[in-house]
Amino acid sequence: MNQPNEIAVQVSGLSKNYGAVQALRGVDLSIGAGEYFVLLGPSGGGKTTLLRLLGGFIRPSAGQILLHGRDVSEQPPNRRPTSMVFQSFALFPHMTVAQNVGYGLRLRRLPKAEIASRVDAMLELVGLSALAGRMPHALSGGQQQRVQLGRSLVLEADILLLDEPLAALDAKLRKDMCLELKHLQEQVGITFVHVTHNQEEAMTVADNMAIIANGELVETGTAQDLYENPRRRFTADFIGENNIFDGRVSGLTSGGVDVDLGFAILTVDAHGQTPRVGDNVSVSVRSELVRVLGRGEAPDALLQSVPATYGEAVYLGLATSHVASLANGDAIVARHISRGDASDVFEAEAQVTYAWPRARMRLHLS
Amino acid sequence: MGDDYTRLWTYRLKWLYTLLVVFTLMLPVFYVIYISFNQNGFGARDYVFTLEWYGDIFSDLLLMNALGNTMLLAAITMLAAVPLGLIAASFYKATEAKLLTVTLLLSPLFVPADILGSALLVFFKNLNIACATVGEWLGISWFDTWFELGYFSALVGLIIYTIPYIFVVILITMGRYKEQQSEAARSCGATAWQAFYQVEFPQIRAGVFSACAFTLILTFNEYTRTSLLKGGYDTITSVLISQMLNEGMSEQSYAMSSLISFIAIAVIGSIILYTLVHTDRLDREARAKAQPLMST
Repeated sequence: MNQPNEIAVQVSGLSKNYGAVQALRGVDLSIGAGEYFVLLGPSGGGKTTLLRLLGGFIRPSAGQILLHGRDVSEQPPNRRPTSMVFQSFALFPHMTVAQNVGYGLRLRRLPKAEIASRVDAMLELVGLSALAGRMPHALSGGQQQRVQLGRSLVLEADILLLDEPLAALDAKLRKDMCLELKHLQEQVGITFVHVTHNQEEAMTVADNMAIIANGELVETGTAQDLYENPRRRFTADFIGENNIFDGRVSGLTSGGVDVDLGFAILTVDAHGQTPRVGDNVSVSVRSELVRVLGRGEAPDALLQSVPATYGEAVYLGLATSHVASLANGDAIVARHISRGDASDVFEAEAQVTYAWPRARMRLHLS
Repeated sequence: MGDDYTRLWTYRLKWLYTLLVVFTLMLPVFYVIYISFNQNGFGARDYVFTLEWYGDIFSDLLLMNALGNTMLLAAITMLAAVPLGLIAASFYKATEAKLLTVTLLLSPLFVPADILGSALLVFFKNLNIACATVGEWLGISWFDTWFELGYFSALVGLIIYTIPYIFVVILITMGRYKEQQSEAARSCGATAWQAFYQVEFPQIRAGVFSACAFTLILTFNEYTRTSLLKGGYDTITSVLISQMLNEGMSEQSYAMSSLISFIAIAVIGSIILYTLVHTDRLDREARAKAQPLMST
């Protein structure tokens, strides 16, 4: 279907201002054809603005949008190779399910028989054949979103844009539909660009994702890249549960970069980055890698350890979070798999040692 | 009937009150209808039932001419003002300067009829003088009569008068419309016009039709602006009023007024009835369809 390595979306220097407010600032991004790409970020960060710019619902203040190599920056939505699925309220309430799905085909003036057969096939694909004659108000939220998907996919556009498509659904249904979306995308093979603020949703579906916050593209990568090895402090803060330590580079050695936190010095691998002595940097480590050492247990050479004052345990079912405070007052969290016995109980205000593998620490220059 | 805690007699009292208000308002209309069937006309001591006056309406040139003029004014006003009101309501939804827009659009409502009428009268008179002066200066005369008082000036007055009502009526139905639907249509390949005509319009149609009916009624009843800006006694209201002021209304005029009332009551009544029945049916269908659904 698509050539390997073909670029579906190429965005350069894209900005959008609303008066003095900069909703999006100089974004550069490229998305390969046939990819499931997720734009992830906090609410109000600019990800929906980016999606609406791709769809042609708003005009860029600066920059260029190429879709499959064609500059569409000044084109209206109906002239772009895109189709969009909205968060909610976007079905045509005066048309049946089948009429909704066939709307775009009728606009193209295809023969009636062809429209009918393509609509049938699409309803089959999204699992709504039995409801073809229903009106949208007689559908549940999940069914409505399936109709929207059908209405967009039936057009066989090259790029499908999804704006928080699952946000209006309850948690259980959202999980099921996430996988369904992923499988659907694999079946039809076109490029999906999906906006969400939900991390789990993003990680479930994405081949690649981009973190967008404060109008800027923070970082792109696979779900695993961004979870295991975030480059930016923001990503570490946003994805997963990380302990982040802010400090200053105090020395560069063959073993790595020494970061002085004031109460401890951490030695971190630079991962190809080139910090200078005196730079303000951050170090992060995921909370599930951190352990509270028991009494009499000494850290070995592979472990980095810091002293802390134990606070409390928060039982979360699968895991238990042990929260303590560091010498500078910052919190540190260790997540243990819940054991449900006394081996994991610590006294409040007790002096404890938190430790984690040195190799798993990450250095963030920004 | 209200909820379980409503007392029966207060509920009946409210109904009684409502009926009393409607009856009081309609009483003069009923009286006109009563007179229209009297052989001896208004104020006569003897009441003899007849349909004679109704037969005479169609041979009364004054009345038939007035009816024609009124319907023409009403129809043109409706055709011109409803699209303008629709555009205004769409603009209001899109603009950020909502307060300014709504103030400007509703301002004709707050100017008394005779003041707006006479202001326009002065405006058109001056425009005429200006046209004539410029024409004389250029040595041509073909736009001398453009802004003379007549149908055109009356139409301008009526359009200004009806736009605020149309704007409000359409805006009420438009308020419930979700803009994502237009965007969804655009992303299915519709042009802006197709998105409006195929997706938005079917959903605001009730408001547009109500606005049309409202405009017809407003224009039909209008006296002050029409007579100031057009003059002459050739619309229904101006004919009736001139008759009243001079020799008293003719018997055919009572018949005509009654006929118009019958038609108006029948039309509005059936619209209301249809709407009630229709909404009720839609509600029942929606409930019937929604019931057997599961949560997925």
